[in-house]
Amino acid sequence: MKDLNKVRNIGISAHIDSGKTTLTERILFYTQRIHAIHEVRGKDGVGAKMDSMELEKERGITIASAATYCDWKGHAINIIDTPGHVDFTIEVERALRVLDGAVLILCSVGGVQSQSITVNRQMTRYRVPRLAFINKCDRTGANPEKIIGQLRDKLSLNAVAIQVPIGLEAEMEGVVDLVKMKAVYFEGPNGDTIREADIPANLKDECDAKREELLDAASMFSDDLMEAILEGEPTEEMIMDAIRKGTLALELTPVLVGTAYKNKGVQSLLDAVNNYLPCPTDVENVALDLDKNEEEHKVTNNGSDPLIALAFKLEDGRYGQLTYVRTYQGTIKKGDAIVNTRTGKKVKVGRLVRMHSDEMEDIEETGSGDIVALFGVDCASGDTFTDGKNNFSMSSMHIPEPVISLSITPVDNKAQVNMSKALNRFTKEDPTFKTFVDAETNETIISGMGELHLEVYIERMKREYAAEVEVGAPQVAYRETITQRAEFNYSHKKQTGGSGQFGRVAGYMEPFEDGDYEFVDSIVGGSIPREFISSCDKGFQKSLAKGSQIGSPVTGVRCVINDGAAHAVDSSDVAFQLAAVGAFKEGFAKAKPVILEPIMKVAVEVPTEFQGAVMGSLNQRRGMIVGTSEEDNYTVVEAEVPLSEMFGYSTDLRSQTQGKAEFTMEFATYRQVPKSVAEELVAKAQKKDKK
Amino acid sequence: MLKIELSEKNPIRLLKSDAQGKTDALRMGLVMARAGLGKTAILVQIALDSLLNDKQVIHVSIGQSLDKTKLWYDDMFKDIAKACNLENVNETYMEIMRNRMIMTFNESDFSRARLEERLTDLIQQNVIKPSCIVVDGFDFAGADHQMLADLREMMESLGVQGWFSATCHRDDERVSKAGVPAPCHEVDDLFDIIVLLKPISGKECLSLNLLKAASGVSGKQLQLDPGSLMVRENC
Repeated sequence: MKDLNKVRNIGISAHIDSGKTTLTERILFYTQRIHAIHEVRGKDGVGAKMDSMELEKERGITIASAATYCDWKGHAINIIDTPGHVDFTIEVERALRVLDGAVLILCSVGGVQSQSITVNRQMTRYRVPRLAFINKCDRTGANPEKIIGQLRDKLSLNAVAIQVPIGLEAEMEGVVDLVKMKAVYFEGPNGDTIREADIPANLKDECDAKREELLDAASMFSDDLMEAILEGEPTEEMIMDAIRKGTLALELTPVLVGTAYKNKGVQSLLDAVNNYLPCPTDVENVALDLDKNEEEHKVTNNGSDPLIALAFKLEDGRYGQLTYVRTYQGTIKKGDAIVNTRTGKKVKVGRLVRMHSDEMEDIEETGSGDIVALFGVDCASGDTFTDGKNNFSMSSMHIPEPVISLSITPVDNKAQVNMSKALNRFTKEDPTFKTFVDAETNETIISGMGELHLEVYIERMKREYAAEVEVGAPQVAYRETITQRAEFNYSHKKQTGGSGQFGRVAGYMEPFEDGDYEFVDSIVGGSIPREFISSCDKGFQKSLAKGSQIGSPVTGVRCVINDGAAHAVDSSDVAFQLAAVGAFKEGFAKAKPVILEPIMKVAVEVPTEFQGAVMGSLNQRRGMIVGTSEEDNYTVVEAEVPLSEMFGYSTDLRSQTQGKAEFTMEFATYRQVPKSVAEELVAKAQKKDKK
Repeated sequence: MLKIELSEKNPIRLLKSDAQGKTDALRMGLVMARAGLGKTAILVQIALDSLLNDKQVIHVSIGQSLDKTKLWYDDMFKDIAKACNLENVNETYMEIMRNRMIMTFNESDFSRARLEERLTDLIQQNVIKPSCIVVDGFDFAGADHQMLADLREMMESLGVQGWFSATCHRDDERVSKAGVPAPCHEVDDLFDIIVLLKPISGKECLSLNLLKAASGVSGKQLQLDPGSLMVRENC
């Protein structure tokens, strides 16, 4: 059994193109998991190890996170490579949920960008201790000092350098380790020969000053270190211990520098992962005991305790269905029967493997705190497995609702069959990707987190399943809600032969800010018999599916019933459901209904000379400019823009800025549409209904 | 309460306009205090007053992030709306925030030329036409008289009212003839109104002492509630 103190479950997260896949490639090379280095967009056509999906290799971005592991100086490191684009954020969130620590990669030129802010926020949400690695120090304009400032200002991290680069841009030779106060050079064709030397004379003063800063920051977490500093020279162990304490408490972010592409600084980063990031026992994880009213249970990380494992990722690849799991306590052995808490089903572990991107290695047993993959286990992402003796569930993951949808139509029968297979797999793998058949138009609708998110799935359908589809125009997920309280009193009567139907439902509806829907039963005196109360609730819930304005789902409504009437013979479940539907319709019309639309937080990074034009165009798209931040010759414009106005924005932006601007967007909130737009939407919906 | 009533009752108006409600006499204002007493809160309330009067505002934040600055507005607006029982809170919020733009600069990157270039660009592109600019975090210790005079000239040429914040230090005893403490003691002639936030002995509130006032600006004593950071006529 592994010593848990020597296990690290880490994620590598960052902005797109900050070089995290290249860094992972180098890590695998130095830990001897691979024997040759292939670049992300390399001429050898092999592509980087972690970018195993064909589409990823072609676009040079990571789409699905792949898991791998390696050994470094006696420590077992499980690495999840996570995607850089906001549209694939669920992948980042899932990875962070099961990881104990993370490395935040930043480009030494681009620095903290909007995606880094999103990722950092997610890391904070899941309380993931992190290291920062300022990569690409060989690039022209590299400025690690500036990036450390950004980590402090923009991400509010207590970022402290533990290394100083020796030279920058083309002259970067190595790093100075501020803990050991030694220069470290990475020599040989692949930078695998490490040579320690004295600090170059020209850097001595800078390093002394930086070390002072480091000691100041680290001493906040260790009285021993503080005393040692006052008394004389502190030891390396004391400094490292204090940095580790600060990092685990999420109050210190050690910053390392290097250039993965030029093979410098990667081994030092691995040392820092071992030294400063937590092992599974350093992190407190909590499971919910379903037998004890979801009482919190702190997982023990003990291999001999009953099993608790979380399935955090599914993949349906060439080896069949793979389920990535993280064990929190207990062990899983090949041949074990484990129980899915959600379904109560017992499943047998046929094969247990350790994944290395798209290759794998069979193992017999996994210990507590480990990340491995199971074969042929039917479950959904986020399911908890136990050994059946307990009924635990790991807390559920935060899954955002899709904000954009489009219709897809297969071009022929063969494509139809393949499309179904593809959709079945994708929806199982990715909870933010949903699909359904529109009952009215009979079209298949797919919905997700952004244009690129859906584009990638359509492309994957075509490539991996040969499912050619025609794509409709993107549709925004509108919602309807009410803005004021309104009374209803509706009687449903039907007397057309046979047994009649009767039910009267009275009460009021009002805006409900804490959720989508609430039903309140305030009936006194039994005006509606007990057995029909739930029928009223069902009727209201049915009505929520389709608002009367444009047929979008209704949210934010509290329905209160306080009166009604029933008939001894004619009242039934159906009659009260229909009465509630009628009552909802009546109340909704009087409650000043409005249409809500998804608002996206858009960040455009643009050369300053184009900022006016960019803001003008965001304004034209009904955007609300929140503000601008200046960074050298670049300006980041932040705005809140309705999603419906963002289609085709990338093309517009390119032409406005000669292709020099980049933008990211993520869902922010739902907000009421302006009157003119609402009228247009209503007219459009009415036209569609008439057809 | 409706938006219009809220803006009429806002005590901060006593600083920004004369008895007739005119703001022409006031080109540049300054809020001074020791660190952490509530300068940003006052600047945000000054900006919110303009916003509630349907005027456009640019908030220049030097050395502070966009998110933090936005949070100031969100929190102060929420507090004001709650305290005054404002009707149509969400609608009003959306309406007024459309008229606000935050510009953040690094301390080392900020200059009059740079700010003017940005502002002119935005005005020409019809993105915003501010009537008030608040500048938070300006480094008075590193600025000279000429630099401030340039900024005043810029405010005049754009026809806007400018408000600055400055941090004074307990151990720096330099003061101007008018009693304006360092680091603004040599530039006090460039401001039409200067407010110094000071603790009131025996009270939790801070007083907004008018060290200099434009003609016609009400001398009425305002106070800052340190709990809510709201300016009030009586704490």
